[in-house]
Amino acid sequence: MTLEAFAPSQPLTLGVELELAIVNTHDYDLSPSSADLLRLMGKRKIPGDVKPEMTDSMIELSTGICTGYDDALSQLTEIRDALVDCARKLNVGLCGGGTHPFQDWSERRIFNTPRFHMLSELYGYLSKQFTIFGQHVHVGCPGPDEALVLLHGLSRFIPHFIALSASSPYVQGTDTGFHSARLNSVFAFPLSGRAPFVTTWDDFGTFFGKMTRTGVVQSMKDFYWDIRPKPEFGTIEVRVLDTPLTIEKAAALAAYIQCVAAWLSKEQPFPLEEDDYLVYTFNRFQACRFGPEGTFVDPKTGEHRSLREDILFTMGAIEHHAIELKADGALRYLRSELQRHGNDATWARQVHEREHLLAEVVRQQCLRWSGDLVV
Amino acid sequence: MVDQWLQAQSFLGVVVDWSSTRALLGLSLVVIAGALIGEGVFRFLGLPRIVGYSLVGLGVAVSGHGVAATGEIPPVVRMILDLALALLLFELGARVRLRWLRTNPFLLVTSLAESLLTFGTVYLAMRYLGLDTPSAAAVAVLAVPASPAVIARVASEFGAEGQVTERVYMLSALNTLYGVFASKLLLAWLDLDQGQNPVQAIVQPLYVFVGSFLLAGLLGYGVARVARGLDLRNENATLLLLGLITLALALTKTFGWSTLLVPLMAGLWLRNTTERPWVWPRHFGTAGGVLVLMLFVIVGSAWPVEGLAAGGLLALAAMAARAAAKSAAVFMLGWFSGQSLRQGVGVSLALTPLSATALVMYADLQGSHAGFAAQLAPVALSSIAIMELLGALAVLGALRSAGEIAARRP
Repeated sequence: MTLEAFAPSQPLTLGVELELAIVNTHDYDLSPSSADLLRLMGKRKIPGDVKPEMTDSMIELSTGICTGYDDALSQLTEIRDALVDCARKLNVGLCGGGTHPFQDWSERRIFNTPRFHMLSELYGYLSKQFTIFGQHVHVGCPGPDEALVLLHGLSRFIPHFIALSASSPYVQGTDTGFHSARLNSVFAFPLSGRAPFVTTWDDFGTFFGKMTRTGVVQSMKDFYWDIRPKPEFGTIEVRVLDTPLTIEKAAALAAYIQCVAAWLSKEQPFPLEEDDYLVYTFNRFQACRFGPEGTFVDPKTGEHRSLREDILFTMGAIEHHAIELKADGALRYLRSELQRHGNDATWARQVHEREHLLAEVVRQQCLRWSGDLVV
Repeated sequence: MVDQWLQAQSFLGVVVDWSSTRALLGLSLVVIAGALIGEGVFRFLGLPRIVGYSLVGLGVAVSGHGVAATGEIPPVVRMILDLALALLLFELGARVRLRWLRTNPFLLVTSLAESLLTFGTVYLAMRYLGLDTPSAAAVAVLAVPASPAVIARVASEFGAEGQVTERVYMLSALNTLYGVFASKLLLAWLDLDQGQNPVQAIVQPLYVFVGSFLLAGLLGYGVARVARGLDLRNENATLLLLGLITLALALTKTFGWSTLLVPLMAGLWLRNTTERPWVWPRHFGTAGGVLVLMLFVIVGSAWPVEGLAAGGLLALAAMAARAAAKSAAVFMLGWFSGQSLRQGVGVSLALTPLSATALVMYADLQGSHAGFAAQLAPVALSSIAIMELLGALAVLGALRSAGEIAARRP
C-alpha cells in the first residue's frame, strides 16, 4: 500500500475533535447511549460532525475548518449546545475528562461497526480499556515536508499540551496520582509513540512502505502516535491532549497549538535534531504524572526547569503571533487557568476533597461541560 | 412403630411440638425453595429469579395456603408485602428525574395518554363483557399501573441500561401514582354512590393524599440528611435507611395513609429536591433482598385456584385491552419523544407486568369495601396471576430485544 498524497490545506487553520463521555443521570456511570444520541443528532444541522467511537458510551464531535480561536469556540459552542439538548431529551449527561473516574472497562460494549469489531478482535481487552476521551487538534500545513518539520518541532511542546489539558486523575474509582492517567492506556498500544525522525515526505513514504510491506500496518490510522500526519486533510494531528472539561479550554488549547505552530514555522527558533527525542519520553512522563509541576528537560541545553516555567516562557515568546492570529484571549485564559487550578485534574481533585463522592465529581463535570457551572 | 417412638419420647421427657413452629418452618421452606428455584431458573433458563419466586408462590397457592384461599391477606403477610413494596417503590422513585419531563415534554404526554387510554379501553372492554359500572371502573383502575416491583427487579438483576429502561422506570412510576390516586377517587365515588356523607367522601381521599405527601417529604428529607453525613454504601448506613422506611411505613398504617404513595413519593422527593447523586446497595442489602423474595412469593400465592375458572376469561380480555392501549399510546407518541421503533416495542412490552402494586390496591379496596372487593376477586386476582409471570418474561424480552442487558451480569 502506498502512502496517499498530501492534500493541500490552508496553513495554520485548525480542526478540533473531542471525544466525550455519555453518563446516566442517576449514579453518573457511563451509559450506553451513543446510538440514541447519534440518531437524535442526525436531525440537527451543525457546523461539524458527530461520530461514534470504540465503545457505546463514547461520542466524538469534530468541528469544520476553523480559522482561529474565535471560530473554533463558536463552532464548538454550536455543536455542544445541540449535543446537550439531545442528551437532555434522553436523560443522559455529557462530560469531558480524559477518563471516567469510576467506570469498569469490563462492562463496556463495543460499538457495532466492522472496524471497531475488528479492532476489538485484534487488541482484546485494550479496546474496552480504550474508553478514554481525548482531544485531537489538526493544524493545516502548506505542504507535506513543512508538515513533517512542524511535527517534529511541536514534539518539543508535547509536555505542555499534556500538562495544560490533563483531566484524568481517577481510574476505576481510585486516584492514580497522575494528572493524565489516560495516556497510560494509549501507550499500551504497540504502534503508539512518535513518528520517525524524517523531514521529507519522500523519506516518510519510504518508511511507510517498509511498514506496510511487513504487514504491521495497513494505513495511517493504525499509527497511534502523539502527533500524526493526516494526508487526506493535509494536516498534522496532535492527539495527546485529554478532553478538557469545558469547550473554552478546548478552543484555547487549539489556539495555543496554532500559535506555537506559527512561531515554529515563521521563526524556526530551534534547529531540529534526532537527539531532541532523547528527553522526549522523560518529559512526557513528567507531564502525565506531575502536570505543570513536572520537570522539563531542555533538549538542547539539558537544563531542568519546571514545566510551568517553560509554558509561561513559551507563552511570552508567542505573544506577538497570538496577537496576529487573534488568539491572545486564549493565552490569557490559559495563563489564568494555570495560575488558579493548574489544570482540570487538580480541579477534579479539589471537588473530590470537598464532596468525597466521585459520582458528584462527574456530575459537576457535566455541568461545566454544558456551561451551567462556571468556575 | 410410631406408638413406640412416642412412648419413648414421653418417657425420656422429650417434647416435639410441631404446632408452635409451623409458621417458622413454613417461612424457612419458602425462602429455601425460592432461592433454589430462583437460582435454577436464572442459571439454566436465563430467566429472572423472580419467576422462580413466583413459582414457589404458585406452589403455596396450590397447596391451599395461598393468600387468596382465606379471602383476605393476613396482617403479617400484609406487613411483609408492604415493607418489601416500600423498598422497591422508594428505589424506583429515587430513580425518576421529573426534570426529564420538562426537557422532553412528549414523555409526559405519552404517560398521560397511555394511562388514560388504558383506563378507557379496559373499562369499555369490561362493560362490553357484562360487568357493571363500578366493577368495570375498578378493574380499569387496577389495570393502570405497570408493576414497578417486577420492572425494577428484572432491570436491576440484569444490569439493564438504556433508553427503554429509563423510559419504563419513568412511565411505571408515573402510572403507579395515577393508579393509586384513581383508586382513592374511585373509593370516594363508590361511597358517594352508596349515599355516604359527601363531605366525608371527599375529605377522605384528600386526607390520604395530603398526609401521604407530607410524610413522604419527611421521609425523603430524613434520608437526605442521613446520606449527607454517612456513606450509603456501607452496611450501617443502609440499616439506618431501612429503619427510617420501616418507621414511615408504621406511621402510614397508623394514620391510614397510602402505603404505596408514601415510599414512591419519598423516593421522588429525594431525587428531585437534591442534585447530588445517591448511590446505595440494591434493596438496601440482604434484609431487603429477603423481603423482595417474600414479596414475589406472596403475590404468586395469590393465584386464585378456584376463581381462575370464573374470572380467567375476563382477566384475559382486560389484560389484552390493557396491552393494546399501552402499546398504542407508546407507539403513536414515541417518535416525538426521541424513541426508536425498536425501543417502542421494548417499552410497550415492558409496561405489561401487574404484580404487588395491584395486589395492594386490591387489598386496600378489600379493607374498606369488602363486599365489592369480593365480587371483583376472580377478575382482579386472575389478572395479577396471569401478568405476574408473563410480565416478568415480557420485561426481560423487552430489555433483551432493545439490547440493554449488561455485557457482564452483576
